[in-house]
Amino acid sequence: MSEPSGQPLIRFTGHRHLTTRLLLATLTGRAIRISQIRSSSHTHPGLTSAEVSFLRLLDAVTNGSSIEFSMTGTTLVYRPGLITGSAEGLGAIGGVVRHELHKECATRGVSWWLIPLCVLAPFSKGNVNVILHGEGCITGATPAGDVSADTVRTAILPLYRHFGIERNIELRILKRSCAPGPGKSAGGEVQLVFNHQVRLPKTLHLLNAGRVKRIRGVAYAVGVSGNNNARVIAAARGVLNKFVPDTYIYSDVSSAPLVPSNDRNNPSGKMKGAVGFGISLVAESSTHCFYSADVASPPSGGMPPEDIGKQAAYQLLEAIEKGGCVENTALDTMLCLMAMGSEDVGRVALGRDVAGSEDFVQLGRDVKEFTGSAWGLRDGAEDKEEVVVSVVGRGVGNVGRKIA
Amino acid sequence: MAPQLGKRKRVTREELEQPSRSPTPSDSGSESEEGEDLQEIFRKAFEAKFKPLEVEKKPVVEEQVEEEEEGDEEDDSEWDGISDEEEEAGVEVVDHSGSHTPVERMSKAQLRAFMSSKPPSSTGPAQPSKSTSTNAADDDPAESTHLKNDLALQKLLRDSHLLAAAAASTSSSDLSLTGALRHKSTDLQLQALGVKTSIHAQKSMPMSHRKGINAKARTKEEKRRAEAKENGIILEKEVKKRKFTGERERGVGGPSVGRMKGGMLQLSKKDVREITGGGGSGRGGRGGRGGRGGRGGRGGRGMKRR
Repeated sequence: MSEPSGQPLIRFTGHRHLTTRLLLATLTGRAIRISQIRSSSHTHPGLTSAEVSFLRLLDAVTNGSSIEFSMTGTTLVYRPGLITGSAEGLGAIGGVVRHELHKECATRGVSWWLIPLCVLAPFSKGNVNVILHGEGCITGATPAGDVSADTVRTAILPLYRHFGIERNIELRILKRSCAPGPGKSAGGEVQLVFNHQVRLPKTLHLLNAGRVKRIRGVAYAVGVSGNNNARVIAAARGVLNKFVPDTYIYSDVSSAPLVPSNDRNNPSGKMKGAVGFGISLVAESSTHCFYSADVASPPSGGMPPEDIGKQAAYQLLEAIEKGGCVENTALDTMLCLMAMGSEDVGRVALGRDVAGSEDFVQLGRDVKEFTGSAWGLRDGAEDKEEVVVSVVGRGVGNVGRKIA
Repeated sequence: MAPQLGKRKRVTREELEQPSRSPTPSDSGSESEEGEDLQEIFRKAFEAKFKPLEVEKKPVVEEQVEEEEEGDEEDDSEWDGISDEEEEAGVEVVDHSGSHTPVERMSKAQLRAFMSSKPPSSTGPAQPSKSTSTNAADDDPAESTHLKNDLALQKLLRDSHLLAAAAASTSSSDLSLTGALRHKSTDLQLQALGVKTSIHAQKSMPMSHRKGINAKARTKEEKRRAEAKENGIILEKEVKKRKFTGERERGVGGPSVGRMKGGMLQLSKKDVREITGGGGSGRGGRGGRGGRGGRGGRGGRGMKRR
């Protein structure tokens, strides 16, 4: 297959790390071909509906991308276009892109769409204003390991400040929802407003993780008693107060979202979406590094709030113990932004467990495929179990804002 | 260690025998003993003068005694059965693992800052600056009074000549100004703060009046200068009003010649003459420049000669 741009397709196989690959392809403007997507599965070969939905979202915020599937959906060719954001006439109505997540997308939390979208947003030509809604939109944490939208807002979006991206960023949680059980739908609604576009993100030098100075959190109860929140908070505080006295967890109680009941007799009928409760904890260090933890009640229920609070607290302590300046959930965001920075070497200290994770290694390999520059790793300070990662920026940055 | 009055913890034998962190445990022990002796001496001296003090028992000692007594009781074989039963029946389990900490409420502002749709700022909640400033004032009352006195003194110095006039007219020893003098004082203060014109300057008046005032001021000044000259007194230099020369200060970035009007550079005849060098004006561009050039040339030749 010959490419009009002259650059050959970058080839990948397998369904893993699909979002980061698509994200890097869009940021670097390279066309990719992903084959053998779940080709060995007899029941569900090819892309899942969540992945297709992500591709549609990419299509909505870019101009001129082309996406080709094979007949079975096991092969995908993606040629990225220009990131235009919510430009009028390209999928946006009234300056807002409304992206519906269907019921089948409820396997992933909304953060799975949000985090890559946030990475794209600073490199957009225009403002980014996207509403994610629908029966598959889960704002809470999910059993699949996706963090809640609260964590995205309180632990991931503040990280953009390190790159000089801090103005006019908002993540509004319009309707909360929890992970639905089988046969139920979520029905949450989240709006991302990202109006700070930059030419190039600043080069990051983050070597000192500092010490945790405060812990904040949000406990959410959707369609269940607010008492659950109080119990979750009490359990979490019981564990954390010993370590950090400056611990505050806010409580947010909301009613269950209404989703259309696809009833033939009552076409306009509504029914309650999924209910549940959960907690999102964020620890902030003195050098503005963030560690987060997320636990929600399982869709099947049967877990007392005390257990959830305690589990979240222990999860947070574990994330802090891993050390480094970046935790696992923020890894993609930080390293992608560093790789897209100016042609300069940025450095960040990571905990050994974080740097040894599969995500990190695969992200490093993928970035090397796309940009051609590998990352340098060396040991951090002697007394700390840390690895310093040096990332060379690509120096291209925002193509849409070249002339500004 | 200085002898401490009041309650102090008794140094037990175990503590003394333990390897203490302090470099000289024996010294401290002996010193504490000395301290007790001193206290005893003081107490006796006090009691000799006044009525005897009530001897208060030390709680630590009491506890020790009680423990010993309990130990004695347990040793007695008579009570073994009952105490065992009591222990089995009355085991109290206290679970502190899920200690319920009192939930402190955060302020509304902090709640709004965190729960808004924006990513929470990493800076802490802004402290009310008003309270800190008042605290600073409260901290040092002497400082604030000094500051007030300073300001009052400055005002007094500034108004001193007015005060002289006031004293001459009313012969009152009061330092506060009244009436027209108070207005004058205010005017002076305003001028010190940077006001352009005095509040007493009349803005509008008949032309003849203004002319008269100006003429009077001029004659007064001339007279003063003439008298000074006769008496051989050297006065300050006269500030001469600059005559309008026709040249104006050109703005930065504007054209260095002519004037811009309606997007068009307009050159006057004079400008054209200066550029072309034609015409025989006194300060013609060409001639002047030529002269300067000549001087430069001569300088160059001078260099050669050397």
